[in-house]
Amino acid sequence: MDERELIARVRAGDGAAERTLYDAHVDRVYRLAYRLAGDDGLAREFTQDTFVRAFERLASFRGEAKLSTWLHAIATSVVLNGLRKVKRFRRRETDLEDAAGVAGGRRAAEPDLKRRLAQAIDDLPHGYRTVFVMHDVEGYTHEEIGATLGVETGTSKAQLSRARARLREALADFAGEWVS
Amino acid sequence: MTDERFERVLREAAQDYHRPPATPREEMWLQIIAARDARRRRRVMLRPRLAWGVGIAAVLAVGVAIGRWTATGSPRIAAIAPATDRSSAFVYQLAAAQYLTRTEVLLTGFRSEARSSQADAQFARQARDLLGTTRLMLDSPAAQDGRLKGLLEDLELVLAQIAQLPPRGDTAEVQLINQGLEQRSVLLRLRTANPAGPGPVRTQGAL
Repeated sequence: MDERELIARVRAGDGAAERTLYDAHVDRVYRLAYRLAGDDGLAREFTQDTFVRAFERLASFRGEAKLSTWLHAIATSVVLNGLRKVKRFRRRETDLEDAAGVAGGRRAAEPDLKRRLAQAIDDLPHGYRTVFVMHDVEGYTHEEIGATLGVETGTSKAQLSRARARLREALADFAGEWVS
Repeated sequence: MTDERFERVLREAAQDYHRPPATPREEMWLQIIAARDARRRRRVMLRPRLAWGVGIAAVLAVGVAIGRWTATGSPRIAAIAPATDRSSAFVYQLAAAQYLTRTEVLLTGFRSEARSSQADAQFARQARDLLGTTRLMLDSPAAQDGRLKGLLEDLELVLAQIAQLPPRGDTAEVQLINQGLEQRSVLLRLRTANPAGPGPVRTQGAL
């Protein structure tokens, strides 16, 4: 069944077609949600929300982009908005803990490249981190990233380059690991 | 150190960044089906309430029109004023009762859903609908009653807060709204102001 036929069947309320569409895309959506959220509960919630919205809005899908691009645009919007709220909430919680004087000190950075890298990726600005995770971790092309995030391909490339530069700076202590 | 080598090391090391487990396909599919069913049911439940909203706005508009018409003071109108005053008062009472009932239903639903962290966009939409009616009520003779006016002003604030909630709610904002409702005893005052049971039953056959 090609994509156009699948969409037509989903629009007509065919449950089996809905499941086929879900099966075809859920892995990639969940992986991206997990990579960006770093939490299984949030990744599940974001993935579910993405598909609920996609099924509701499929009637308005005009086929100008590929279905996977359209679906990933919904997914990134759900994930990034969701993470903004989570971040706001956690910041409030941290403020409360700080005010109560119960917060523990920050753990000392572990002398381990992967841990330091994870921390450095977490510290990247939203846009840089999204592009870095999509491109360098999940293997999306700049064209896919541009279409998904609604930015020019050049913007995606520039953000990736800046993200790498920031990471390189943050990991300067580990230069020996990649100096041959 | 070369850029190429750095990028390769970076990409390899980054594979462990938030490494996802196997996709929980079945569990998520069941949740999606449940969420869509719940949305469908909620939409069906809300449709009649929206129709009531339009009705209330129409009744208020008629009330305001009658009020303005009788205020012009021409002799012909003066002659029929007592009758129109009575019907105007009735229209305002009816509109107020319907408005208060709908608002009570919304706030009660909002509080119970907020407990399970499910306050969502439907509430924001309903609150926006009711906000317009609240403004009309405040501008109508119904607001000459000081107690009702105070209640309407508090309701306007609460409805505005709910109307501005983002989709999927913001837990902290929802808690603030609930605190406001409790501190100002809004629901209690609402029920006291509108004690005679659901509007649709009370007003059956009145129009």
